[in-house]
Amino acid sequence: MNPTLLINSLTLLTLTILLTPIILPFLFKNFKNTPQVTTRAVKTAFLISLAPTTAFIYSGVESVACHWEWKFIMNFKIPLSLKMDQYSMTFLPIALFVTWSILQFAMWYMASEPYVTKFFTYLLTFLVAMLLLTTANNMFLLFVGWEGVGIMSFLLIGWWQGRADANTAALQAVIYNRIGDIGLILSMAWLASTFNTWEIQQAVHPHQTPILPLMGLILAAAGKSAQFGLHPWLPAAMEGPTPVSALLHSSTMVVAGIFLLIRMHPLLATNQTALTACLCLGALSTLFAATCALTQNDIKKIIAFSTSSQLGLMMVTIGLNLPQLAFLHISTHAFFKAMLFLCSGSIIHNLNGEQDIRKMGGLQKMLPVTTSCLTIGNLALMGTPFLAGFYSKDLIIESLNTSYLNTWALLLTLMATAFTATYSIRMTILVQAGQTRIPPMVSMNENNPLITAPLTRLALGSITAGMIITSFITPTKTPPMTMPLITKTAAILMTILGIVLALELSNMTHTLTHPKPNPLMNFSSALGYFNPLVHRFFSKNLLEKGQNIALHLIDLSWLKKMGPEGLAELQVAASKAATSMHTGLIKAYLGSFALSILVMILMTH
Amino acid sequence: MNPYATSIMTFSLILGTTITISSNHWVLAWTGLEINTLAIIPLIAKSHHPRAVEAATKYFLTQAAASALVLFSSMTNAWVTGQWDITQMNHPTSCLLLTAAIAIKLGLVPFHFWFPEVLQGSPLMTALLLSTLMKFPPLTLLLLTSKSLDPALLTAMALASTALGGWMGLNQTQTRKILAFSSISHLGWIAIILVYSPKLALLTFYLYTIMTSAVFLALNKIKALNLSMIMTSWTKTPVLNATLMLVLLSLAGLPPLTGFMPKWLIIQELTKQEMTPAAMAIAMLSLLSLFFYLRLAYHSTITLPPNSSNHMKQWYTSKTPSTPTAVLASLSILLLPLSPMMHAIV
Repeated sequence: MNPTLLINSLTLLTLTILLTPIILPFLFKNFKNTPQVTTRAVKTAFLISLAPTTAFIYSGVESVACHWEWKFIMNFKIPLSLKMDQYSMTFLPIALFVTWSILQFAMWYMASEPYVTKFFTYLLTFLVAMLLLTTANNMFLLFVGWEGVGIMSFLLIGWWQGRADANTAALQAVIYNRIGDIGLILSMAWLASTFNTWEIQQAVHPHQTPILPLMGLILAAAGKSAQFGLHPWLPAAMEGPTPVSALLHSSTMVVAGIFLLIRMHPLLATNQTALTACLCLGALSTLFAATCALTQNDIKKIIAFSTSSQLGLMMVTIGLNLPQLAFLHISTHAFFKAMLFLCSGSIIHNLNGEQDIRKMGGLQKMLPVTTSCLTIGNLALMGTPFLAGFYSKDLIIESLNTSYLNTWALLLTLMATAFTATYSIRMTILVQAGQTRIPPMVSMNENNPLITAPLTRLALGSITAGMIITSFITPTKTPPMTMPLITKTAAILMTILGIVLALELSNMTHTLTHPKPNPLMNFSSALGYFNPLVHRFFSKNLLEKGQNIALHLIDLSWLKKMGPEGLAELQVAASKAATSMHTGLIKAYLGSFALSILVMILMTH
Repeated sequence: MNPYATSIMTFSLILGTTITISSNHWVLAWTGLEINTLAIIPLIAKSHHPRAVEAATKYFLTQAAASALVLFSSMTNAWVTGQWDITQMNHPTSCLLLTAAIAIKLGLVPFHFWFPEVLQGSPLMTALLLSTLMKFPPLTLLLLTSKSLDPALLTAMALASTALGGWMGLNQTQTRKILAFSSISHLGWIAIILVYSPKLALLTFYLYTIMTSAVFLALNKIKALNLSMIMTSWTKTPVLNATLMLVLLSLAGLPPLTGFMPKWLIIQELTKQEMTPAAMAIAMLSLLSLFFYLRLAYHSTITLPPNSSNHMKQWYTSKTPSTPTAVLASLSILLLPLSPMMHAIV
């Protein structure tokens, strides 16, 4: 049985099924596009996508399917080609599974939304763009998917358009993504001019790849995956509805940047400078995000910073020259992060829109399924042994400890691991445990299967995904087998340290002493003072430069002063000077005649 | 004025001009010039207004000095070369003095100071005579001696005249002074081409005479002594104002009108003589005078005055037909297609 044909055709079928809710209304007039239809389409697509994945696991065949070719210049062809390798084959069912659960949850969450069909269509369009990005074989299709997810992110973050904060956040997302796009286009241009193609397989440099396109790629990844410097949009993106946060800003879109680096890995591997840049950038991002998450009080913001921190960890893995491990972390992270967002969505809706964890507490008794899944998600995030996060996170920390790298990056990552545990336990304790701080009149229940089914499914995924994926995908690089005990247990030790810290701090809150303001806490609460400093500075600079150059220099100076107005002033001055010479006194005139004649005679002799 | 006196003055003017034009001997030329000077003094001071008397005095002083200088230059030439022939003016200093003297007579910079004030003090028709007829004899003398004159000096005076005529004319509101400075500008054009092509200088002078006469006659009809008079005259003579606009634009040298012809031919001749920077300079300086011609044209036709009249057209006008105005205006607007013929005739 030819596995190639099976894989190609079934992948195409999956993608086509996803498009049906969008295409069918044009074909059949009385086709109603409801959320149920969309959810069912995604579920069907997931179930079908399991088939090519199984075929791939069984046969190990990677294939490239070229469907059409766009010849827009003579010797530069852009084929519409999809690549089915281990990354896209693994990502496809995971993304579809997570999306299916999120869509099912969104049917309950967005039930009172008047434009709910449009919302689901947007989510579906986003999913199609993301899958196009992951299965793309050339930079052109990847760019199409990249821009697609960017635009859908903008539309979805600003879903509640009447809210000024939502519009600002959407604009922030678009601008930061655009800055990253500059890097991507730079790399695409370099690729096209050096290799005369945008196919990723053909981009293999014999010696070390020059640093410029790699910096472009790293910039693109930093923009899309919210690394430090281009990170403020991710916490701001929490203005969108919770399903949007769950789908875009935890599982799929933000990993697009890391995915790009994974795809371009053969180019990156030869240049040690680029790898070190990834390493340090990732380490800085992960620690910064974890520090900011420590003092956040909005539950969605905590999870957002947690996402940012894990993205930094993925960037660190890329910097260690381990793309497969980064992809493993992407896959496992998708499960528990989406679940965390869905749990927070359930809690928020049940508390009538309350997002502040200081006003929650003791929810364990009232929302048992939700809080259990929250606990499972947090444990998976921390890297609890043999849950999903363990397989990827522990491997990353072990590889960090056993490779020859920048010590500063290592220390920062370890500290970030500890902080991850701290804020996770803090969130768990404040939300679930202890005395309740919610307003008295709430009617909360999770009787609706639309809440519990997705959560349960994702919880199962969070527990088993790590084991399943590592069982079936063979690693391309040998993992470190032997190491000292302290190195082996470094991750778990830092996690335990973080947990102990969090528990100790929560104990201190029972003694009712007034907390003193200290600069470190202010730094963490104010998100590192990054937003006010950077946002004001760059935009003011740009506007001033624009005014100086375009208005003052060009328009007013050159086109007005040097041209008509300056000329007119000169003539007026000359006219005035000449008029003052004509005094009307004949004595002066005759005298000037005599003088002129004298001068003329003297000049010629 | 007494008709006898007027006829004597007119006859003397014609006599003086004819004597100078047709003379071969320097003394006879000088005689003609003096007769002209003396004949026009009473015409300037006709109304015994102090300003007119002052203008007449200034005119007499400058012109007498200039005539004396003409005689002096011819005498030094006769002393050195031994002959009084006008065309054989060979001695350089004599040429220089002659150039200065004729420049005073004509009104070229830096000898132009008398011209605007004299024109302002005289009535419009006398001003016309001063601008056109009185320039003819001195110009003839220059034409006769043109091959021995210094081109550099003439070019310098010409460029300065055009420049000063432009700049000074910008600051005037009295029409006679504006026309004085326009005359100075045109004399600049004539002077620059004098050495290279005397025929072209003569053609320029003829065309300038036609155009200026048309302007003066038109202004005389509407009695416009300053800009505000022009602005309010469109109710009385609308067609004349429209024609005045065209004649003024022709004076400025705009293409489909006659005034373009001399400018074009002069620039062509200068370029052939490898004097392109001078050609460019004189053309650009004429843009200044274009501005005040446009202002005059604007005021005569295009703008409505601040004090609006009760009705658009007055029902009574002094509609005496005036043939010279019509003929001269037509000539000054429509003569451009006949350029080859004009160039051949002169």
